[in-house]
Amino acid sequence: MELSLLLDPGILAQVLAQGLVRGSMYALMAAGLSLIFGIMGVKNFSHGELFMIGAYVMFFVTGVMGLPWPMGVAAAAVVLFGFGVLIERTLIATLRKRAGRDWLLDAFVLTIGMLVVMQNLALILFGTERRGVGGLVDGTFVYGPIIITYERMMIVAVAVAVGLALWSFIRYSDLGKAIRATSQDPGAAQTLGIDIQRIYTYTFGIGAALAGLSGGLLISLFPAHPTVGFYPVIKSIACVILGGLGNISGAIIAAMLLGVVEAYSSFFMSGGWQNVMTAVLVIVILIVRPSGLFSSSKVERA
Amino acid sequence: MTNETVMTAGSGVWHSHGARILKIVVLLALLVFAPTLIDNDYLTRIFISAVMMGLMAAIFDLMIGYAGLINFGYAGFLAIGAYTSALGSFHYSISPWLGLLTGGLMTAFIGFLAGVITLRLRGLYIALMTFFVGEAIRFTISNTPDFTRGMLGLSVPPYPDILGIDFSRGDLLNYYYLVLVLGAIIMGSLWWLVKSRFGLAFEALREDQLASQSMGLNTTKYKLYNFTIASFFAGVMGAYYAHYISILSPTPEEFGVYRTVEILTITYVGGRGTLWGSIFAAFLLIGFQEYFRGLGPWRLVIFGALLIFVMLFARKGLAGLKKYFW
Repeated sequence: MELSLLLDPGILAQVLAQGLVRGSMYALMAAGLSLIFGIMGVKNFSHGELFMIGAYVMFFVTGVMGLPWPMGVAAAAVVLFGFGVLIERTLIATLRKRAGRDWLLDAFVLTIGMLVVMQNLALILFGTERRGVGGLVDGTFVYGPIIITYERMMIVAVAVAVGLALWSFIRYSDLGKAIRATSQDPGAAQTLGIDIQRIYTYTFGIGAALAGLSGGLLISLFPAHPTVGFYPVIKSIACVILGGLGNISGAIIAAMLLGVVEAYSSFFMSGGWQNVMTAVLVIVILIVRPSGLFSSSKVERA
Repeated sequence: MTNETVMTAGSGVWHSHGARILKIVVLLALLVFAPTLIDNDYLTRIFISAVMMGLMAAIFDLMIGYAGLINFGYAGFLAIGAYTSALGSFHYSISPWLGLLTGGLMTAFIGFLAGVITLRLRGLYIALMTFFVGEAIRFTISNTPDFTRGMLGLSVPPYPDILGIDFSRGDLLNYYYLVLVLGAIIMGSLWWLVKSRFGLAFEALREDQLASQSMGLNTTKYKLYNFTIASFFAGVMGAYYAHYISILSPTPEEFGVYRTVEILTITYVGGRGTLWGSIFAAFLLIGFQEYFRGLGPWRLVIFGALLIFVMLFARKGLAGLKKYFW
């Protein structure tokens, strides 16, 4: 691509629009990971596999049973909520009791085991075939130089809606307040009568539901197959680090930024080099600002 | 078992000094002579894989088990060693024998740099940082096909004959004995290291960083030592791997997160902070994997479930069984 094209306002606008769409996708993927990390401190490396299960649920509800797509997305969220609750109760809570002080690193390794199990079970059950659902919404939006399919606009709309819903839930609902209290000071929260174990279970369930929802919604771009979660989990981790570990709104803003930066950088470099750039960006942020771009608090160092 | 009562008591003939020497002799004899006596290429390959993966896991254990540093981009470090030696012989006709050293030194250098930028962080942050370092290495290799042949695959020459020993890959037994020699050197060095004052410092780091610091231990310095030394040995193993396996490509299975997970599983199943546990676990897991080839992806399901089981219920791994066998 010619560099001079970058000066063309029409192209700039189109690339910006594409970047925002891409960023919305990243935000959807990263929201659940960020929530679980922020509240529990657990880095869930099997996040991409929860995304994958969401995609399969979507495929069976819309592609096989022929129900309308919003039901598929809702089913993915509900199924993954139940699955997340089950995982937290059986595995993560058990580890928390047995591993003691430094349980978070062990929890990370535990989720690696979960990843291996889920991915290969999916391979056994469904094979390597990609199972997609063609365009959920037809049509294309055209405004001057900006051309975006309605499907992508719908993804942006859902991402915004999910972001707002999550924000108001955490901010205003009783459960949301209890969740915030637990993340700030688990000991004090417990003293005030909050059942921390229950909070962790709900948090993991909601985080998993968000992963499932994004897996369902993005099925036309990421058709269901056993290793589909690889790309989403890397992008999610990148957003979570850039935004500040555990800072959900930070992660969403970082997702948008990353989307736009990647869209612009596609002028200069191939998709492969973009992966290098994303990795280097994350490394640089971890060196100079380990608490993320938008955080005022300091992370534990030394 | 005649020793059953004795075993539960934790003393007696089975646990005597003489019996322990005998056990070591038997195990070493099996390790050295079993492949020669059976002389079957398929079995030799399994032995090579087990020793190779066991060594990679033991080096990983030096970081996670002794100093609490999780290098989640480990496969990227192996790739540095592998590609340094392979590209050296491919482009510049540097002897693969020298490659064992250049691969190790280059990886130690990268490990040192990674250590410098990582050591201000701790715990999970180290895992995140090293993960992206590993991915950056892998993607850089796959994006420079003119030099590394990227995903097309780089074909690597075998070791040239030395002292009249044939390393043409026609006789795999020689590759087996090569990895045994490397293994003896590496395990000896690691063993010496963890028994020295370095080992004590590493363990202090793992147990309580703050306390170690307030006792006047320079934690940063020892983290850097640990990381650089482990990277050097990882690079040596990567270089060996390259010339044994004969074709390299930077896929997630070979030099990405899946390989790291495979090695991490061996270390955790063997028992963190034991070094030898990794070797036993590698023989067990690789042997299992080969024996149950027919199970296909179920093997990996079992691997993952095993890792979960170890994390939850058998936190010492195989090393928890030591009291019965040692």
